[in-house]
Amino acid sequence: MKPLSQFTINPVTQDVDLPVHVAQHSLGGTQNFRRLSVNNKKLSAKIFTLLAGATLAAGSLGGIAPAQAVVDCKNAEQDGNGCTVVSFAYFGDVLNGQLVNDYRKIHPEIKIQEIKSPDLDTLNGQNLRTQCAAGGVGNPDIAAIEVSYSGYWRSYPQCFVDLSSMHTTVGNKSAANIKNDYLSWRWDQGVAHDGKVIGIPTDVGGLEVAYRWDMFKIVKLPYQRDEVAKAWNTWDKFIAFGKEYAQRIKLPKYKSEFTKARTAPKGFMDNVGTIFAAYLNQGTEKYYKANGKLDGQLVYKTNPAIRKAFDLTLKADANGIGTRIGQYSSDWNVGMQNGTFAVILSPAWMLDYIKAQAPDTEGKWDIATMPGGGGNQGGSQLSIPAGAVHKQEAWDFITWYLAPAQQLKMFQYTGGIFPSTKALYTNKALVGQPDDFFNKAYTGKIYASGIKNLKPIYEGKQQRCIDQEFGNALSLVINKKEKNPSKAYSGALTIIDRKCK
Amino acid sequence: MSQQTARVSKKAPSPWKPEKLNKKLNNPNAVLSLNGKWGYLFVAPFFLMFLVFGLLPIIYSVYIAFFNWDPLGTQDFIGLTNFQDLMQDPDFWLAMTNTFEIWLLSTIPMLIMSIGLGTVLHSQFLKGSTFWRTILLVPNITSVLAVAIVFGQLFGRDFGIINLVIGSLGLPHIDFIEGSLPSHVAIATMIVWRWTGYNALIFLAAMLAIPGELYESASLDGASKFKQFIYVTLPGLRNTITFVLIVGTIGGLQVFAEPLTLGSSFSGGDAGQFKTLTLYLYDRAFVGGQWGYAAAIGIMITVVVIFVSIINFFLTKRISSETK
Repeated sequence: MKPLSQFTINPVTQDVDLPVHVAQHSLGGTQNFRRLSVNNKKLSAKIFTLLAGATLAAGSLGGIAPAQAVVDCKNAEQDGNGCTVVSFAYFGDVLNGQLVNDYRKIHPEIKIQEIKSPDLDTLNGQNLRTQCAAGGVGNPDIAAIEVSYSGYWRSYPQCFVDLSSMHTTVGNKSAANIKNDYLSWRWDQGVAHDGKVIGIPTDVGGLEVAYRWDMFKIVKLPYQRDEVAKAWNTWDKFIAFGKEYAQRIKLPKYKSEFTKARTAPKGFMDNVGTIFAAYLNQGTEKYYKANGKLDGQLVYKTNPAIRKAFDLTLKADANGIGTRIGQYSSDWNVGMQNGTFAVILSPAWMLDYIKAQAPDTEGKWDIATMPGGGGNQGGSQLSIPAGAVHKQEAWDFITWYLAPAQQLKMFQYTGGIFPSTKALYTNKALVGQPDDFFNKAYTGKIYASGIKNLKPIYEGKQQRCIDQEFGNALSLVINKKEKNPSKAYSGALTIIDRKCK
Repeated sequence: MSQQTARVSKKAPSPWKPEKLNKKLNNPNAVLSLNGKWGYLFVAPFFLMFLVFGLLPIIYSVYIAFFNWDPLGTQDFIGLTNFQDLMQDPDFWLAMTNTFEIWLLSTIPMLIMSIGLGTVLHSQFLKGSTFWRTILLVPNITSVLAVAIVFGQLFGRDFGIINLVIGSLGLPHIDFIEGSLPSHVAIATMIVWRWTGYNALIFLAAMLAIPGELYESASLDGASKFKQFIYVTLPGLRNTITFVLIVGTIGGLQVFAEPLTLGSSFSGGDAGQFKTLTLYLYDRAFVGGQWGYAAAIGIMITVVVIFVSIINFFLTKRISSETK
């Protein structure tokens, strides 16, 4: 399909093919030149060129352009002049700039206005809640919701447009006829308790292990991805593997100097705390159980898997396999590059982050299947808040942006963000592409096979709150502030009773 | 020409002068409409804005503090239950002690350093004083988030510059996030860095207001520079110290951005070791969704600020009357 903007006289975008572009320039330029030269003969040639350019730009933005031409809305700030500005509030990498550019080629009249939130709590916890309480005032047209908040928002469908009532302008796409493109459990995370569809899934945060094969090799442990996956196919073996690594790497602890900044304390994995969620998400039940009622039944006191995940994490810590570096701290970013740790439990969307933070380690990383066979962490969905102004345009964009073709592009552009559209899991472009950064691992294939194993987990209203409290309890024990794990665990239960209601 | 304008403007009626004074001028009729009422018009924008964005939210939050207020769900009147729960909430008391510890750790060094810097700026031997005065304000106009990010790099456990220095001295690294006291020191450092220069300028202004004759007679009596500082400068700064302390208390009890960025979460560290009052308020309101409870925390912060300010006021008043 030929992008519409090729027919535009358009000095701003670089989307069009160069020869066409240049030809349009000179054509428009001479026309203006002639007209102006008749009116103002005294003007110097230099001013002429300037004016011609300015008129040209004004023409293409303001509608003086030829009838068949379409406006360019790249710099539009508000509706008008043939432009529609659709605001998109998100966090992290949910919105991809290259895909937005692609959309502009087919819909030059739409401007996707990016509103990036510093973190997901600000958007999902604060802004959307405040806006909905105020009756939708200030709502963006599209909002990204993280799965840890999806359980919460499913209890408040009144804050969102029921997407099952929407149809696209072209092709008449509705929620009902795109539903089968997606993983069914991912789709269900965007369905409110009353059956309304409030969110369409973006990516799946499949969870596998990113590791430094070169460092495994140095300490003479298995380093090829199949061997590694086999060596740690259970969590207990994973901990034993890590213990072995930590013993063999034998580097002086806490003896870094200015000149030798690269010999920092080394450990096996960045932070053992990540094991808790990884293990729990491999199961079928977390803190809630579906009971046919709106919020589900809270089972965090009785579900034995939670205590098991808790103890497993503490066992990993007791064996000294973690460096206790918090994820996304400055130490983590530097450590990734310096080999402070050799292993990260990495959701698909983190691959891109590793590449950006540790460019010098290209080819030294690899991906192996996680103990217990793949996991899940993160992912989000796109919703149209009830107060959105451009509901139709928002739906048109969402259905395009999250269609299988675009999800594949998203994976290709970012080298990681993993599609939630299941048809792609057999697509060569997804599973047949080696990633050079990760030692030519077929990342798509590894993540896809892990995701296929996942079972749906019922997400409830206070998911995030409960997650945080168990996480804090783990940290208490790991950082030796509470010696008795059982006490920390029961303490967490008490706090959850009080806070997460 | 300039003289003429000066004379005209001297005669021009001031809208602030009462009518009685205007009558003394040659042309009273021309200024009758300006007799003082214009003042209300000029202050109106501020008071309107304050009403809408200041007073109404305050009244509203006092109102919802007596409710179990789920912003999207139900709102039930529960009387004083929020406050009763708050009194028994260990997290609240933890946040309270943390906030006071950070406040102490930041206020005292800041007070000493800013008086010291003010004295240096006041010195007649200082070259390029305008430049130094300007430079002192730079930390204050830097974005808090930028400051917190830079300090986050400085305080890093493995690769932070401070720990690299400590390590090169052969001492064990300090974890500025895990530890309770170290994290408070880190946050206090950010606050001190930000406010010392600003307060130094306030002290400088106060020092400039101390009459020069006092110093002259003191030096005639043979007082050294140090004695002059103790017996002339410091007593002259009494009111300014009260002012800086009260403003510092109001700001110090509302520390928010620094602990937030240090731990990049609203829980203020795994054990809440640097959870502050405002951080806890935000956490309850926007992560927990308990607006009524959060409003109750807000009211408690106000009460504490007022209480501490009163203590401050009486302490400094008493000290100043004793020295007289």
